[in-house]
Amino acid sequence: METLNHKEVINLLLQLAAMLIMARVFAEIARKLKQPAVVGEILAGIVLGPTILGSLMPGFQEYLFGSHEMSNIALDGFVQISVVLLLFIAGLEVELQIVWSQGKNALKIAVASMVLPIIAGFVVAYAFPEFLGVNINDRIVASTFFGLAIGITALAVVARILMDLNLFKTQTGLLIIAAAMIVDVLGWIVFSVILSLSESGSGGLGVWPTIGLTLAFTLIMLTIGKGLINKTLPWVNKKMAWPGGLLSLSLAICFLAASFTEFIGIHAIFGAFIIGVALGDSEYLTEKAKEILHQFINNIFAPIFFVSIGLKVNFIESFDLGVTGVIVIVGLLTKYYGAYFGSRLAQVPRRESIIVGFGLSTRGSMDIILGLIALESGLVSDSLFIGLVILALVSSIASGPLMGWAGRLKI
Amino acid sequence: MYQKIALAIAFSPRIEALIAEVKRLVLLFDSELILIHVGVKTPELEKKLTELIKKNQCDPAKSKVLWKEGKPVKMILQACREEKVDLLVAGALKQEGLFKYYMGSVGRKIIRKSPCSVLTLIEPRVKTSEFSRVVINGTQLEITPQVIKHGLEFSKVVKADQVSILNEIKMYGLQMGTASEDSEEEIAHTRRQLVQNEIDYVEQILKDLDKGKLKINIKVTGGKWAVELARFCEKTDANLLVVGDERKLNFFDRIFPHDLEELLSTLPCNLLIVKK
Repeated sequence: METLNHKEVINLLLQLAAMLIMARVFAEIARKLKQPAVVGEILAGIVLGPTILGSLMPGFQEYLFGSHEMSNIALDGFVQISVVLLLFIAGLEVELQIVWSQGKNALKIAVASMVLPIIAGFVVAYAFPEFLGVNINDRIVASTFFGLAIGITALAVVARILMDLNLFKTQTGLLIIAAAMIVDVLGWIVFSVILSLSESGSGGLGVWPTIGLTLAFTLIMLTIGKGLINKTLPWVNKKMAWPGGLLSLSLAICFLAASFTEFIGIHAIFGAFIIGVALGDSEYLTEKAKEILHQFINNIFAPIFFVSIGLKVNFIESFDLGVTGVIVIVGLLTKYYGAYFGSRLAQVPRRESIIVGFGLSTRGSMDIILGLIALESGLVSDSLFIGLVILALVSSIASGPLMGWAGRLKI
Repeated sequence: MYQKIALAIAFSPRIEALIAEVKRLVLLFDSELILIHVGVKTPELEKKLTELIKKNQCDPAKSKVLWKEGKPVKMILQACREEKVDLLVAGALKQEGLFKYYMGSVGRKIIRKSPCSVLTLIEPRVKTSEFSRVVINGTQLEITPQVIKHGLEFSKVVKADQVSILNEIKMYGLQMGTASEDSEEEIAHTRRQLVQNEIDYVEQILKDLDKGKLKINIKVTGGKWAVELARFCEKTDANLLVVGDERKLNFFDRIFPHDLEELLSTLPCNLLIVKK
């Protein structure tokens, strides 16, 4: 087996250390400013990447992130694992009982908040592919990808904002949480299908087999898979070291599910997400265990991923004000109005509907992963990806104050 | 509290125990007894039932027997509506086989669809069950104030020794996971606050209720409330669990069990379901 040489090991360790230190420093600054950690972590990547460090100290930046190819491959492995684990934790966050308890109202809001941005995003990207920077050779897929990327909600970020605003346990808060969970599930199912559309032309599974496999995998995991987890977890909790046994086995089944979905032709992250849902829904996964998994992934792997974004593109060179402006405006307006109209349809009062609208407009996790996959698949340009990242930053910064403002409205 | 208590009877081996149990409740709550049987009325069955009523010394002036023909669940529920029953008592097996669970037994169908509160007895006894250790679901739901009030009233009448109100912190893992962005002190404060919020919620409801001489404990847990309630009942050897039911459950709920459905799949003890 080929291994890293002495210099490559040092380089890789320095890369990881620099990423984690910068992520922590900027996350702390974000915390002081009452902003989500993800905002600080993305900014840390922009500072460490070609945008700032690459301009101010090009030699140092080149040594750190461009001098050893093997170290970069190893770092990419870390980033890939981080993405899989982020999806796993996103799945763990989905609590089906919360979704059931909110019922049809949450479904209406979730669907409306996704449909409007997907349609609007598709229309805009399809009509102006060259301006926005979507791949003209894969126009339908790239346009749908763009629509989906602006239609996602960041559940963890919105959960934190709701806690800060003391809205988490209110009816409106639970409605937002449940709708965001449905958006996650629907979003990743739609994502798998769209990706198959792209791959069908190049020897992929094709649309219908992928839809069938995606739904079958989801259903099997949430019934038989969950049943097996329910049979195994009590034994693991009782007989193995805690939380060591649970942590290592949880991550192992996450990687197994991810590799399985990759093997059958659905993207690896979908497997990680669905097994996360199945595991998180198990009555034997204690809340304490969930807390540990959250802390472990959110504080080690999430920063690595969010910092890596800034390393991939130059946010000044590839920045396009027009493209970013269109993405931010279309993204914010369609997601807000989609969620707002969905709430009104569910007979939620006007003020609460405004809060739901702003709440579901919060981004900053899954949307960036989607954008990155599209970027790496050559479906979108650097400038469009930058627009998506800025949309995530703007929405996660603005959602809290806007929800607070809406809560004080006298209507 | 209950003006009319009904019992659905099926002439099973447990009929005598069920009649004894319901007769005790009728006396405790000073109610009228309604016995409902769905099936053909034969002289033999009628004689058997009369003997049972006589044996249990049920007051004939305050007892009524209804013989119905048709689908058991439909007819029992129809009788409850017609007679304006306040509490329906039914027997149910502690655990069902896989087939019965998905297809549903008569007992569980009644529980799911009943228009009035339902008391499910898992082990009815001729010497009658005691309800000394009562657990009430205090999880923040729309129906919870009504459930706590109902549970306390019931506990007072049956003279319960201990009443525990179990409250669940919703999505504790997610809340504490996102709180990991804070300092150690802030995390500890968040943790304390989450627990205190639940205690405050129950105390706010209890404030205006007559508690009599009941000993009431408030317990806070993190997790899914139905599962936590079942575990708590088993751990404390509770003999009655009081929960609310806000909506009708369907077949889909059984494929993806949650909340009440999870409790019904493995009844931890006798169960009083308070309907909205």
